[in-house]
Amino acid sequence: MTLSVALGPDTQESTQTGTVTSTDVLSAPDIPWNLVIWNDPVNLMSYVSYVFRSYFGYSEAKANKLMLEVHKKGRSIVAHGSKEQVEQHAVAMHGYGLWATVEQATGGGDGKGSGKGKGKRG
Amino acid sequence: MAKAFKYGIKGITGYLEPAERELLRSLFDDVVSMLEPEERANQDPLAALVGLDAEAREPSDRALRRLLPSVSKNDAAASLEFRRYTERSLRESKIGALKAASLGLDKDDLVLTPDDARHWSMALNDVRLVLAERLDIRDDEDAGHVHLMQDWSQAEDVESYLALVYNFTTWLQESLVQAMLQSLETRG
Repeated sequence: MTLSVALGPDTQESTQTGTVTSTDVLSAPDIPWNLVIWNDPVNLMSYVSYVFRSYFGYSEAKANKLMLEVHKKGRSIVAHGSKEQVEQHAVAMHGYGLWATVEQATGGGDGKGSGKGKGKRG
Repeated sequence: MAKAFKYGIKGITGYLEPAERELLRSLFDDVVSMLEPEERANQDPLAALVGLDAEAREPSDRALRRLLPSVSKNDAAASLEFRRYTERSLRESKIGALKAASLGLDKDDLVLTPDDARHWSMALNDVRLVLAERLDIRDDEDAGHVHLMQDWSQAEDVESYLALVYNFTTWLQESLVQAMLQSLETRG
């Protein structure tokens, strides 16, 4: 149970019971948030590639391409989605030990706005 | 000597000497104690239960900051707010993986299920991130320099000892990930 944040897509799959969830509605390609993975000298290339394949379900070719982009360019955008979606991915990546941040796809990427409105209490 | 992890009919298997198990156990335990959230007197128990931590701050320790990074590169306020909602459960998930790996060391045979393997790879990765901060590995050149240290008879100070431990855990993680990649191919 304590590991559920690292499970990612697996846990979402198990909820597919025919109803359309809010994340499905939000998964249009034009939603402007990016998940960025940054290079570091510690994470193994094989491990980064493994995480991209197993967590996002990417093909070997796509995972390796993104991994090499991180390695050579210093960063790579590995997923897009709503703010909530990419934030969830970021926590999962942090669980794996990858250095991930989120940013807005357009403009300054300063993440202004009310953010998540859920669960806020004085 | 430890043997590289392998993928075969029984799943992912490995072999570690008792001294190597002892070393890994203490490394996993060290990282667990770094990650354990401090108990605060004024803490709201219900908030803690659901993973909220209104007092969470960016860690001052570099290694801990690497384990629990900020979610935004240039928006400190958003990062802090996010941290208050997520950091506690991230700590718990990391601790869970480290403890699962540590528990696996108690068994005579190292036969890993896919879940075990994932916990092990995460645990080894976190150990390596912490060791790398202690060794000041900032770029690939630093990493290459540390990598040269392979001979245990050269271990004469804390730094060379840490470098050897780092290289051992790197080798072990690499062999594990290769076995995990192989299992992905087989499972399709």
